[in-house]
Amino acid sequence: MKRSKWIWAVWAVVLLCYLVPYTFLTNVAMWYGSFLFWTCAGLVVIALNIYITKDFEEHSND
Amino acid sequence: MTESMIWWSIAIYLVIAVGIAVLSRQGPAESMSGYFLGNRQMNGFVSALSYSATTYSAFMMVGLAGLTYAGGVGALGFEIIYFAGVSLVAIFGPKFWAVGKAFGFVTPSEMLGHRYNHKHVATAVSVASCIFLIPYSAVQLAGVGYLLQGMTDGAITFTTGVVMATVIAIFFSYIAGIRSVMWTDSLQALMMIVASTLVAFLVIQGLGGFSGLFGTLATDHSASLTVPGPGLFSLVTFLGLSIPWFFFSLSNPQVSQRLFMPSSLRSMRQMLIGFLVFGFIYTLVSVLWGFSALAAFPGLERADLATPSLLASDFVPPVLGVIVMIGIMAAAVSTIDSIMLTLASMLSRDVYANLKPNVDEKRQLLMGKIVIPVIALMALAFAELQLDLIAVLSVAASSGLVAMVPSIIGAFYWKRGTAAGALASVLGTSAFVLLMYATGNSLFGMPAGIWGIIVSTVLFVGVSLVTKPHQASTDAFLNAIAEELGRRKSKPAISSAPQKAPA
Repeated sequence: MKRSKWIWAVWAVVLLCYLVPYTFLTNVAMWYGSFLFWTCAGLVVIALNIYITKDFEEHSND
Repeated sequence: MTESMIWWSIAIYLVIAVGIAVLSRQGPAESMSGYFLGNRQMNGFVSALSYSATTYSAFMMVGLAGLTYAGGVGALGFEIIYFAGVSLVAIFGPKFWAVGKAFGFVTPSEMLGHRYNHKHVATAVSVASCIFLIPYSAVQLAGVGYLLQGMTDGAITFTTGVVMATVIAIFFSYIAGIRSVMWTDSLQALMMIVASTLVAFLVIQGLGGFSGLFGTLATDHSASLTVPGPGLFSLVTFLGLSIPWFFFSLSNPQVSQRLFMPSSLRSMRQMLIGFLVFGFIYTLVSVLWGFSALAAFPGLERADLATPSLLASDFVPPVLGVIVMIGIMAAAVSTIDSIMLTLASMLSRDVYANLKPNVDEKRQLLMGKIVIPVIALMALAFAELQLDLIAVLSVAASSGLVAMVPSIIGAFYWKRGTAAGALASVLGTSAFVLLMYATGNSLFGMPAGIWGIIVSTVLFVGVSLVTKPHQASTDAFLNAIAEELGRRKSKPAISSAPQKAPA
């Protein structure tokens, strides 16, 4: 699969960022509820971006 | 902290920042791309820091902390969705960069005008951007005003803070255009990330550590750890806030213009990843500030006072408090000066030069420089109106700028898009959002933040389908991307250089 296709994984994370805290986590009033979920989502987004843009390195400087 | 300590700190900051700004000069910039784009030669590290400083403004440290204070953890979710939206740069960044190089675009609006083969598209995007971004700049100025006033118990007034930030922003823009702005941005970003993290660490320590803080929140403010939580973040409000911000990296010209600037795609990657790491830390720190303020000072009169109260508290040593305060002021300045430069480049390139054909680069640049202080003074006037919760007003700007998003996406991915579609989408949505805000920001129970993207998409697609696209400009545009990106992929620079004369 082309690296850029992984952008869809980012969009999936975004969708989960709406769905999960407003459904499963509405009653988890602790740090390991929505706070942890969104924090982890942020880290996953960084990792995906590092992967997706890896090809950028192959372009020569100009 | 004393008033004289604050003034001295501001003076020291100014001496260092002006020094850096002057050092950033590389001879007089006589072209538009020299002054506004740093000759498309910006390196990744400075670009990353500057992109962060431009995006994360006074809104972040004052507004997001305030939003967390008022609405709880939903503020983190909202910001993480924005943050994820910056991934659009991974997809659109190389395309912007390629056409920028191929056609010599200086502004994103110029790019749209060229792609849709109609000058009015460029003019409309520029004017609409001004309408929404000048209030957005005002929000940043107001952030400085609130901060200085809050931290000095009114010894430095709101107006003094606002005027000072405006003058500094004009000054930084004038020294060397985007180069001085980006270098002073970098200073500010580095200073802030260290100082603000330290503050979060000290305050959380003071509140009994991470478990102490979250223990207090779980006991006394349990709603703040969930959504909808205390009430601010109903799903509709959350959508209304986060959808426009999701598109921020495309819709806001002061950041999308940055996609023309990196010297290479490698630099662009460094800019993106650097920004994401920086933004992640900054987001968590701001939210933890808001939570800490909620645990320590639950009865504040206004949520915007969360940050000033925290910085003036016993948890933070006065010197650190002042450093962060200067950092927040610099954050507002770094956002405003970038916006001023971008708007000035758009007004001179896409309004002035389109109204008056055959204007040379020198004249355009002169016009841009004349416009900079005019924009600043307009923002100053808005700031003086002292509108309420900072975050909400800056989202009004984002809702409006969503008007550009379908035209931008369509430029790269939809050959059937037309100038009439782009014009209808930009003008129609801008008018719609303004009308929404003028009439209470609710239509069938939904805010402009949600409606904006729907209306702009329907207008763009609908009007495009009943009008005829300009085939030649579409093909030239898309071929330039394929050529620029394809050609560079595996070949060394030397072999590709002689071929570089597209369009």
